Amino acid sequence: MLIHLLFGNLTLEAIPFHTPIIMGAALFMALFTFAVLLLITITGNWSYIWHEWVCSVDHKKIGIMYLLLSVLMFLRGFSDVVLMRTQQAIAAGSSLGYLPPEHYDQIFSAHGVIMIFFVVMPMMFALLNMAVPLQIGARDVAYPYLNSLSFWLTFVGAMLCNVSLVIGDFAAAGWLAYPPLSELYYSPTVGVDYYVWSLQIAGVGTLLAGINFIATIIKMRCKGMTLMKMPIFVWSALCAMILVVLAFPVLTVTLALLELDRMFGMHFFTDFAGGNSMMYINLIWVWGHPEVYILILPAFGVFSEVVATFSQKKLFGYTTMVWALAVITFLSFVVWLHHFFTMGAGADVNAFFGIATMVIAIPTGVKVFNWLFTMYKGRIILTTPMLWVTAFFTTFAIGGMTGVMMAVPPVDFQVHNSLFLVAHFHNVIIGGVLFGYFAGIIYWFPKAFGFRLNEKWGIWSFIFWVLGFYLAFMPLYVIGLSGFMRRTNHYPDLVYQPYLIAAALGAGLIFIGMVLQIIQVAVSIKNRKALRDHSGDPWNGRTLEWSVASPAPLYNFAVLPTVRERDQFWADKKEQAKGAIHPLDLHYQPIHMPKNTPAGFIIAIFSGIAGFALIWHMLIPGIVGFLGILSTVIAKSFSTDTDYYIDADTIRKTELAHIKELG
Amino acid sequence: MHSEMTVHEHHLDSNSTDVFGFWIYIMTDCILFGTLFTTFLVLNAQVQNGITLKTYLDLYDVLAETFLLLGSNFTFCLAILSLYQNKLLRVQAWLALTFLLGASFVFIEVNEFIHLATEGFSWDLNGHASSFFTLVGTHGLHVSFGLLWILMMIIQLPFLKITPITKRRMTYLGLFWNFLDIVWVFVFTIVYLMGAL
Amino acid sequence: MLASNIGLGMEMVARMRKVFSRWAKLLLISMGCLLLLSLAGCKANLLGMLNPKGLITYEERKLFFNTLALMLIVVLPVIVMSFTFVYHYQVSHRIKDYKPNWSHSFFLESLWWGIPCAIIVVLAVLTWFRTHKLDPYNRISAQSQTDPLLVQVIALPWKWLFIYPKQDIATINYLAIPVDQEVEYWITTDNVPMSAFFIPQLGSQIYTMAGMRTRLHLLANETGTYEGLNTQFNGEGFSDMHFAVQVLDSATLEHWFSDIKKSPNHLTEAAYGELLNPSIGNEPQFFSGIASDLFQKVIDTYMNSSGAVHPRQDFHHPVPSKEAS
Repeated sequence: MLIHLLFGNLTLEAIPFHTPIIMGAALFMALFTFAVLLLITITGNWSYIWHEWVCSVDHKKIGIMYLLLSVLMFLRGFSDVVLMRTQQAIAAGSSLGYLPPEHYDQIFSAHGVIMIFFVVMPMMFALLNMAVPLQIGARDVAYPYLNSLSFWLTFVGAMLCNVSLVIGDFAAAGWLAYPPLSELYYSPTVGVDYYVWSLQIAGVGTLLAGINFIATIIKMRCKGMTLMKMPIFVWSALCAMILVVLAFPVLTVTLALLELDRMFGMHFFTDFAGGNSMMYINLIWVWGHPEVYILILPAFGVFSEVVATFSQKKLFGYTTMVWALAVITFLSFVVWLHHFFTMGAGADVNAFFGIATMVIAIPTGVKVFNWLFTMYKGRIILTTPMLWVTAFFTTFAIGGMTGVMMAVPPVDFQVHNSLFLVAHFHNVIIGGVLFGYFAGIIYWFPKAFGFRLNEKWGIWSFIFWVLGFYLAFMPLYVIGLSGFMRRTNHYPDLVYQPYLIAAALGAGLIFIGMVLQIIQVAVSIKNRKALRDHSGDPWNGRTLEWSVASPAPLYNFAVLPTVRERDQFWADKKEQAKGAIHPLDLHYQPIHMPKNTPAGFIIAIFSGIAGFALIWHMLIPGIVGFLGILSTVIAKSFSTDTDYYIDADTIRKTELAHIKELG
Repeated sequence: MHSEMTVHEHHLDSNSTDVFGFWIYIMTDCILFGTLFTTFLVLNAQVQNGITLKTYLDLYDVLAETFLLLGSNFTFCLAILSLYQNKLLRVQAWLALTFLLGASFVFIEVNEFIHLATEGFSWDLNGHASSFFTLVGTHGLHVSFGLLWILMMIIQLPFLKITPITKRRMTYLGLFWNFLDIVWVFVFTIVYLMGAL
Repeated sequence: MLASNIGLGMEMVARMRKVFSRWAKLLLISMGCLLLLSLAGCKANLLGMLNPKGLITYEERKLFFNTLALMLIVVLPVIVMSFTFVYHYQVSHRIKDYKPNWSHSFFLESLWWGIPCAIIVVLAVLTWFRTHKLDPYNRISAQSQTDPLLVQVIALPWKWLFIYPKQDIATINYLAIPVDQEVEYWITTDNVPMSAFFIPQLGSQIYTMAGMRTRLHLLANETGTYEGLNTQFNGEGFSDMHFAVQVLDSATLEHWFSDIKKSPNHLTEAAYGELLNPSIGNEPQFFSGIASDLFQKVIDTYMNSSGAVHPRQDFHHPVPSKEAS
């Protein structure tokens, strides 16, 4: 009896000892984790890691941790790519490949979930954390403790997804787990439960981060920075976070209802007893479409910053850019049905949503033209971020174009669920989101770490990524038009095989690109002294984050800035160049800072325990998990030791050191 | 770049920033309930086999629940008044009364659920039943969580005393508690009144 | 302007020749070859929308290329500008025309708000009318004297059942239909998750859902054998849910009907129960004599269900294991 209360449905049979690929992956993950823990132990850094990183409420450190998480999960998401592309390249005609459907179906589901939720979302929050507070002249985000909690919840969600590889299985119902396939009748294993709980936990983290950044941007801008003087990246972050707080509650409810169906036999989405699967599809896409705009808007923001900085020119049409962002934000909520034109909604409904979808192309196109004409008559420095921007223009234009084509319902009736669709969304996500985030990471890397990334390796990784992308996805457009469907495990017609082999080669080129990126980072770390950013302003930037040292001091600004115009820092540099000298004011006041706290980490760990317990129906660990969350929150609320002051002397020393490096 | 000494800027602004954030959270909770209401309405529109809530409804229960919840909101407001008058004991007393009224609400609701389930209208019967129990139950869960929070405030106030921080927390709780009352108005209108008439 | 752009382009190529190393050139050339091979393959064994055999697909292909053309009006200039601007205004070119504060132009903004708006208006009108005309639920030829042939389709665990109610025959994974005559499909699902019915060369796809009936109209214009498949992932046997579509002239089709009517297999309730069991990779089967109102009964089974047990619980088995691959 006690065993059942403790272990629920969990038995040793949950571990797939007979599947070599999974056991190999598990071994690799275990070895990697062990190596990291060993390294920390040998260098005697446990106290440092715990106090300075795990307990950190500093947005800069949290941003770096988000980035590390996304890179780690990128490796896992990409290994799924290797498996899928090789399977499809082989499994032609009478060959069934080497991955039977029960594994292949989990792989493509995990690939989508990991890439969206645990790679690009954390990457986005890495950029937001790194740049937004500095760009608005603030010392931190509005709720530093919640910021830490958001990160750790995302981390735990990702880890729960990783655990599913070894204990039990993952959902085999696609990245959105449509019912009735994801209901208990058709998916009786714990896979869909892992899916639901890792997304719910990570989803709470995202929602809290959304609230956090909206409050930060609305309430904590420095003196003089009106909304229309903010950097465009901050505008794009604001719009994305508004989408987060409006859309994520829908995801939370939808997944919760699916889980209620599975756990308590309810009938929200079952195919019998009055359940309505079509409603799930509607709800999930009411979240799903804003989600992709959540991802792309910050990338647009990065492009605005990068193009203006490296063209050494003001961003063209600032006001229009803001309006375009606002229109895109609003419109993203009225297009969701274009994901299921083929569900039979009727011509009026289909046509309405199709036209609404096309209309979004207009403000998006406006933004592209504004970027192009920012470059026009500028003086362009072709650094790696600018290379990514250049590749973005073509790639995203093609991807957006195919999107508008599919927004015409009769066309969609032909290409829905085919590789044409798959090629389209990878086109816009890789060409738009990923290229943008790569540009942003390279751009803000010096601010985060104090040294630039090596340009040569950057260029070569860029070349392999772009060539690999085109080789991997252009063939998919072609065979998508020829009737090849997504999620196909094997296919009888050999005519498709050459294209899929080409696609596999493209994935191989991308893999090389990723390896080159890793080498780029390694080489840059090795040469960090030579690549050191002494001035804090390695790119001759325009916005406030470049006015502080690299890496930024703990308190960001010794004295909070006052702003009179857009690109205030650029204007100040122009004034200084003309000879205006501001006397150095070394009289600093103590700065009020929040104290680090383990609460975020601990709550997340208990959430993970609760999630795992819910998946396996383990009553006692479940209660422990929930009580743990509650008691940590309550205990923290009793604490009065939540902040401290940095004294003026420390500030003066730090600022003097930076001024010395400048001169 | 002209600089300004702004040591306590964060402090002065922190109150409005913090409450602003809580308002955004309330808005997300609105969307959460909105989604549940939408689900309820969709699944309500296609009821088969004639087994609906109508068969089992007892509107007197709903009336009692409404008065209890409304009453608890009133007593909470009195707690806030006492808070700003710095009368700690009175705050605790009003909070305790709020807790009792709210707990009675939850008690009646749980009873109602058990009664429905034993009568045959259980949540795994069909989509209509599932959506009823989930919508009303989610509201009840929110109320239960609020009760826990009220209890915590009663215990915490003598320790931390009445400070800007505890005042802020009571503001949050007040917003949350009022919000649940508003949601309840929608619940009894859409679920009970529309279901019974 | 155009001439200077071409000149720029040639300069760019000349520069690239110097800058790019041997390896990069090799890489680019092999990529180019592969891409060309792709395009060459386009012409060969075309399937799907690129090789229409039915009126609907033909219309949809036309719409596809019309939309493509409209979009290229904007996309091509964007691509060209992105390369030429980046190249031309490089800091090393020391262009004298540097306007660091120029960031407004009413004329230009009107151009790139206006032209895309106009294109989208055209596309929107096209979309509205075409979507209505090509609605799967609409009859294709409303004025036709002959009634369309009715085929009832049930997606089963991992095979397709086609019922010809008027002819009182049914098939598994084999659809024979007349040429130049409209066929109406009533479609549902049983004991398998949501699927989608699709014959790419003939027309649109549509989802299939339990307890519901979706409808589709298709018209084949050429005799031949075509591919039909499921587009919506529905579990283990998804990749094997192919069916053959045989388009025959009316005489041959009538002959086929009478042949099938001689089949010793009858689609009784029991035989249908057998089909409800999950199986993958079914060979075509042929039935004569269908249990009465089978299609509607299947839909009603789901519509009238309530409680905790799935109406097909008795047919809920794992797939019998195939030979090791």
